Amino acid sequence: MRLATPLWVLAPALVLVPVFGLLPGLSHGGGWELIGQFAWAAVTPSLDPLVLGSALQGLGVTVGIALLGWAASLVLGLVLGLLSSRTVWRTLSGNAWPAEVIRRLLALPRAIHELLWGLLLLALLGLKPAVAIAAIAIPYGALVARMTSDLLDALPTRQLEALRAAGAGPIGALLTALGPPLMPQVISYGGYRLECALRSATLLGVFGLGGLGAELRLTLQSLNFRELWSGLWLLLAVMLSLEGLLGALRQRWAMPQRFVLSQGGVGRRGREMVLAGVALVPLLVGVARVLEVDPLALVQPHPLPPAPPVDWAGVAALPWPSLITNTLVLTLTAAALAVGGAPLLLLAVRPWGWGRVLVQLLWALGRLWPPPLTALLLLFVVQPGVLTGALALAFHNLGILGRLLLEASEAGGDRAGRTPAEQALEASGSGARLALLYGRYSSVASSYLAYGAYRADVILRESVVVGLVGATGLGSQLLEALSSFAWDQIAALVLAYAGLTLLGEDLSDRIRQRLLAQQHTSSSATSAIPGSPAADALPA
Amino acid sequence: MSGPAVLELEAIRVAGRRAPRLDGVTLRLAAGERVALIGPSGAGKSTMLGVANGLISPEQGTVRWRGEPPARAGSGRRRRQQARIGTLWQDLRLIDELSVQQNINAARLASWGWPRALLNLLLPMDSAACAQLLSRLDLDPALLSQPVSALSGGQRQRVALARLLRQEPLLLLADEPLASLDPRLADELLTLLLLEAKAPRALLLSLHRPDLLSDFDRVVGLRAGRIVFDAPPGAIDPSMLQALYAGATAAPAGAA
Repeated sequence: MRLATPLWVLAPALVLVPVFGLLPGLSHGGGWELIGQFAWAAVTPSLDPLVLGSALQGLGVTVGIALLGWAASLVLGLVLGLLSSRTVWRTLSGNAWPAEVIRRLLALPRAIHELLWGLLLLALLGLKPAVAIAAIAIPYGALVARMTSDLLDALPTRQLEALRAAGAGPIGALLTALGPPLMPQVISYGGYRLECALRSATLLGVFGLGGLGAELRLTLQSLNFRELWSGLWLLLAVMLSLEGLLGALRQRWAMPQRFVLSQGGVGRRGREMVLAGVALVPLLVGVARVLEVDPLALVQPHPLPPAPPVDWAGVAALPWPSLITNTLVLTLTAAALAVGGAPLLLLAVRPWGWGRVLVQLLWALGRLWPPPLTALLLLFVVQPGVLTGALALAFHNLGILGRLLLEASEAGGDRAGRTPAEQALEASGSGARLALLYGRYSSVASSYLAYGAYRADVILRESVVVGLVGATGLGSQLLEALSSFAWDQIAALVLAYAGLTLLGEDLSDRIRQRLLAQQHTSSSATSAIPGSPAADALPA
Repeated sequence: MSGPAVLELEAIRVAGRRAPRLDGVTLRLAAGERVALIGPSGAGKSTMLGVANGLISPEQGTVRWRGEPPARAGSGRRRRQQARIGTLWQDLRLIDELSVQQNINAARLASWGWPRALLNLLLPMDSAACAQLLSRLDLDPALLSQPVSALSGGQRQRVALARLLRQEPLLLLADEPLASLDPRLADELLTLLLLEAKAPRALLLSLHRPDLLSDFDRVVGLRAGRIVFDAPPGAIDPSMLQALYAGATAAPAGAA
């Protein structure tokens, strides 16, 4: 018995069986009324000018933090990316080993979630706008660096060698031979990071690092759902416009789509791109002015409360096995729910045109809604624990995966997104759902799952953000340690987290390679996401 | 032709970006009839086949399948109607990731419910019927378990035909099935198609090869969305073909 490709896509959704089995035992039913009020508030948000004004102001701060953190991460990432590229080192010095060393070192900042960076910096430096920006810039910078160097080292070096052989200087040769093919990919990926930065900035706000997030959390905890939704709808509008704008720019500049980076080639309208880049600079300076960002603040520690005495025995006495198991169970459950849930939902609503729109709206909400807030909301009706955390993370990642699935599976389709094979099945009388399963999921299965494997790795890193609903493993323990300034525990937990993340990254890399190898052996004539190893390492 | 009508198109109009893709096309296909559709590229051949299989809904005109108008899209009755219409696509539209057998069985999705459709993705289903189809089309039944992507071009063509036959359609539509085949394979495929298209079935096939028209019952010439002639192959003379293709960029193969 061999599982055929379309079923791979749905197989992760089997986790719904135990989840639905466990949920009734965990729910306490008391808060359904509150959930109802919350849902009703979605269509009756507060229009009080005061509420809207303060939401807009918070939103401004969030967007500002996102923009600045993103810009800083790009600069940081490009520089570090060049520094960790084997090709660059080989051209400049003849040796590639320094690239390897830098690459290894960058794994640590990348393995620590931006929220952890934020909370660590917050504890050390106090509440300053620069803290949230650095919290985004550091891990994102390390990510961009990895992408840049991966892309660079995957480029063919023949032109470079030819230029060098013709006597060109190393820097000139690098720029001429590798710049043009690299730029569109970096810009396309960079644009996508801005969307991520907006989500991260919102999340940081939830933990008090500035912006709209704090208000979302306060209004949720004080049950002012109508005010909550005012902020939420505004945030949704900003997020969808940003996604739309970036999508349009990608198309206009003939950029590779997010997950199709193998096409290569130089983006068109180079002048426009440069202009847009230049126009960003005064915007960024202006935003920094308004937010009163002081980069120097990052080197001025603020007085710390007296730290409790270091107690390594206490660290060792932490329930490590259960902390790690819970973290892994949380991650895998959330990943399976998100990866399997997206195609299942799409399948469920396929026969109805409005169903697709509804699902897209749900996914958009999932993307923007920070997981800790979902977790808090779930606490109204479910007991705290691993499953609650997993559901919250799953909802968020469902939004991200769903959008990806839709984009990837509708590429090359007709107006309703149907691929040729799907049309053929419908024309022979098959129902819309079965045609989708057979005709569309077949071709996206391996690249979608390859992305899902990558996403699982992101979820592992992200699991810290739902730590505040308690008993979710390393995350909740870490948040507890942070709030009591137990530096010994913090250090041990962060290292454990980072180690786990790096292992997970390695594992998901292997799974991805295997899935993509599978895809390459089967003909790629109809596959919607032509995957190159470099391409599929990209999205985040 | 007498026989009961399998397909009737009446005054069909399909809008295009500049000119209409089909403009007042009327055609009746009776059971047992084998009709060739010729014309230059862009004449509307694929559009006409799209209208015939229900993929394209015309702005004006009526379509009738075996005397019935098409039911509402997405309804069960529409699906039952479409299950009797089989199309051999120009790009075959096989599912590369699935095995030959799963592809052939995909033709049964119209009548299979979810359990069988899912089971087909797990286990070899209806092996005897599938193997019989392959032998009928001169393919080795051992190919059944192969992924479609591992087959040669000619083999893929036949698997697509096997899927079409597994559907047990009454109306066979084929969109330039011979275009990408070498002359020998093209001959073989056409012979197979003509053989299968016996009453109560009817065949509508678009092609670019005026030298292969002799075995059809009727030849329909399409140009710029209009039917220029509709006559038995014996009545088609070279001047009609020249007029049909005049000024077209792609000259028909073997037209001289």
